[in-house]
Amino acid sequence: MASMATASTSLQARPRQMATAVRCFSQGSRNNLSFTLRQLPTRLSVSCAAKPETVDKVCEVVKKQLSLKAGDEVTAATKFAALGADSLDTVEIVMGLEEAFDIEMAEDKAQNIATVEEAAELIEEILKEKA
Amino acid sequence: MRIAVMLSSLIPLQLPSRMQTHLWYILPNEVKSESLLKHYSELLSQPEKDHVFRMQSDDLKKKNALLARTLVRTTVARYQTNNNTVVDPRSLKFKKNVYGKPEVDWDVHDPKLQFNISHTDSLIACGVTANVPVGIDVEDKTRKMRHDVLSLAKRFYSSEEVKFLSSIADTEAQREEFIKLWTLKEAYVKASGKGFSASPFNTFSITRSDAGSYSLCGKAEGWKFMLLDLAASSHYAAICIGGEDKDEEGMNVIVHRTIPFVEDELISDWKLL
Repeated sequence: MASMATASTSLQARPRQMATAVRCFSQGSRNNLSFTLRQLPTRLSVSCAAKPETVDKVCEVVKKQLSLKAGDEVTAATKFAALGADSLDTVEIVMGLEEAFDIEMAEDKAQNIATVEEAAELIEEILKEKA
Repeated sequence: MRIAVMLSSLIPLQLPSRMQTHLWYILPNEVKSESLLKHYSELLSQPEKDHVFRMQSDDLKKKNALLARTLVRTTVARYQTNNNTVVDPRSLKFKKNVYGKPEVDWDVHDPKLQFNISHTDSLIACGVTANVPVGIDVEDKTRKMRHDVLSLAKRFYSSEEVKFLSSIADTEAQREEFIKLWTLKEAYVKASGKGFSASPFNTFSITRSDAGSYSLCGKAEGWKFMLLDLAASSHYAAICIGGEDKDEEGMNVIVHRTIPFVEDELISDWKLL
């Protein structure tokens, strides 16, 4: 369920698939349920250079640090300021991201990230340079 | 408390003296009246209103964002008088300096008043000085970090500060000292107005002398610090002001708890740490 929700709010163009139960019938003492997979139309996306997995991982780190409630949404477009993160939270998020991705983030670059998307893009840039 | 009568107008204030900081704080828990909050929201500029209402889901954060802007506007307005009447808080314009530090955008060049704001979930503070830059930072004393305190210090603080924190055996005392240092370092970075990236935390050290005063290691360049125990000992508040090395006068602070348009209370039971 959680991943379906993420798929519907992320700014990514990627094929989405939905499993639909098409038939449910009884045959004697057995019930049969069969499923088909069908392609859903892809959504128009605003360009976000970072991979969805990176974005998702960043969201997880942020949610953990800020102890967000189940209903609180964190997506690629989420601004850290709108989540009420103060500077100590930001520093802990940076450390959490460094641990999660096994990287080091330079102070000045880290300070300039305002959204989850920007954090993810910076992380991928660092990973690329590391490789 | 319901506000049944007309809200009183803002009472004018005299600017602080040179080495003095005026510290004003609001306790959000004390501001419950919906009509008072509505009155506050009418003082904000459109971009400020947009920012407040864009805060995600959390009503507490929305209220605190509203109170923070209200505190800044009403406090700054009270130090500006036109023939003994306080200027309209709505008329104040704000801008950010080249590093992003919020400042008043004066119509007439008036560099005298400087301010800085800081808040936690339970306390919102505004520091005001005249002629010298000021930075403040407040923190809930019980704030827990998700990461180990020493790991955070090793990653972000200076080596002298790491050494100091490492020498503290008790983990609770260590956490407290980490937070105290955090507020002092934050206050300095905010006072200098150049932001975190221009003064990364590991490029400067703040230490406490045997006499109990905090200062910058090495070239102090006139920066002065005070660390207070505030609001029934619930918060640390650090104040950093600019000055000159040759200043002989120490810094002092006058603290008030306030509810804009309702009441001011002079606080004398804060402690110097």
